[in-house]
Amino acid sequence: MSADVVVIGGGIIGVCCAYYLAQAGVKVHLVERGCLASGASGACEGNILQWDKPPGIMLQLGMASAALYESLASELPIDFEYVKKGSILVVERSEELDGARRLVQTMQYEGVPCEFLDLRELRELEPNLAEDLAGGAVFPDDAQVQPMLAVFSFAKAAEQMGAVIEPFTPVIGIELSGEKIAAVRTAKGRIATRVVVNATGVWSKEVGAWIGVEVPVLPRKGHIVVTEPVANIVYRKMMEAGYTGTVESDNRGLAVATVVESTASGNILLGSSREIVGIDRTVNPEVIRRIVMRAIRFFPRLAGIHAIRTYAGLRPFTPDHVPIIGESSRVKGFYIATGHEGTGICFGPITGKLISQMITGQQTAVPADELLPARFEDGTRV
Amino acid sequence: MTKAPQTIPVGAAGTASKSECECKDVCSDQSNELVICRCEEVTRGEILRAIAEGATTLVEIKWRTRAGMGLCQAKTCRRLVAQILAEQTCQPMGEIHPATHRPPVRPVELGVIASAGET
Repeated sequence: MSADVVVIGGGIIGVCCAYYLAQAGVKVHLVERGCLASGASGACEGNILQWDKPPGIMLQLGMASAALYESLASELPIDFEYVKKGSILVVERSEELDGARRLVQTMQYEGVPCEFLDLRELRELEPNLAEDLAGGAVFPDDAQVQPMLAVFSFAKAAEQMGAVIEPFTPVIGIELSGEKIAAVRTAKGRIATRVVVNATGVWSKEVGAWIGVEVPVLPRKGHIVVTEPVANIVYRKMMEAGYTGTVESDNRGLAVATVVESTASGNILLGSSREIVGIDRTVNPEVIRRIVMRAIRFFPRLAGIHAIRTYAGLRPFTPDHVPIIGESSRVKGFYIATGHEGTGICFGPITGKLISQMITGQQTAVPADELLPARFEDGTRV
Repeated sequence: MTKAPQTIPVGAAGTASKSECECKDVCSDQSNELVICRCEEVTRGEILRAIAEGATTLVEIKWRTRAGMGLCQAKTCRRLVAQILAEQTCQPMGEIHPATHRPPVRPVELGVIASAGET
């Protein structure tokens, strides 16, 4: 077997890479050890947000990816419940309102549509919010997808363009010839190739280590609670203003910040939690209790609604909170596409596009210098 | 006009080997309109379509069709979906990898979760 490019990993990042590579006419073979979306992509929410992105490379990636999603929603072969429902940011205490005002100013300057809301305006948009809050902001262009369906959709589209997508095919090694890639060895055979894309999320570090490439990702665990189907509790993607604080923190201990997402099926997803406790996806009831308590604080009506399922996933977290996208400076042909933390679903399309552009020698859609693996491989930033 | 309910053979695929899977012929005249997951109203036809699209596990069928995502969390349909998967892929029922079990065991009010541990 041989391929121009082997993508290792069948989550959102891997399938987006396969999609854009296939679209560019590259012979791409994706291998995934489990089923597609069996990693973080199958244990997350479908956030396509701008409000939580720091201006600079993260917001650039966010805006580019959001635009790609908007057109892909009608082009891809499987409906993935894309909806531009908007986000609503909620500030709990009046002392924190200035932060929201400043955020709105910054985002408006960056060209992201948004408006500051006082409490009355906030509760006009979301009437089920508690009465003792301070205010917030609305970001009408933020969108939502169903992540597993998005993964299946990109994978099917990639296959339609000639990509080979092989789940249940664990990779057991990467063969080098000198300092270049020669092949990928899987449990089902050897695939000769010169180019590999490491899109294995929290396992990227392990895969890089096979060939001596340092990929500094850590697993940042998150929990989600799924409710029974309900209607008319929350209309937009609701998040508390303190959410970005938990994302940007370097703290490894548990942090909970409310995220409430309604879905097309009526189930509400409650989050979020962040902690670094190793590769462990067992549900911690204490974390669930904290997520639920905080969600009820914002939406008191939730108290009477039933939880039907809980799960936990592992976000790949990098030391500088920016994904790693690009060719390794250590091994030619070894591309890394990981470290998206809580922005994997959001940045899937732009990551796939960038990887495809980098591999085929085209100009990148977004200036990519800050994303390259070299920033960790030359020892200056760990 | 509604069709009469059809019985579903139980454990038909239990001992079939790959080369002599007779259950496929027995089951092939089942109506594709038959609702298998009643919580999410997923029909046999939708499950067959998911398998045709590449689903080889219960989790993939769940993610593609929503069978097993409803209120009862697959308590009612788990075995039925597994039977369909077994017959379509000619695997014995015992080899169908179960979907992941996660808490809660039954629906719990969020208010009860929030006050757990309080005396």
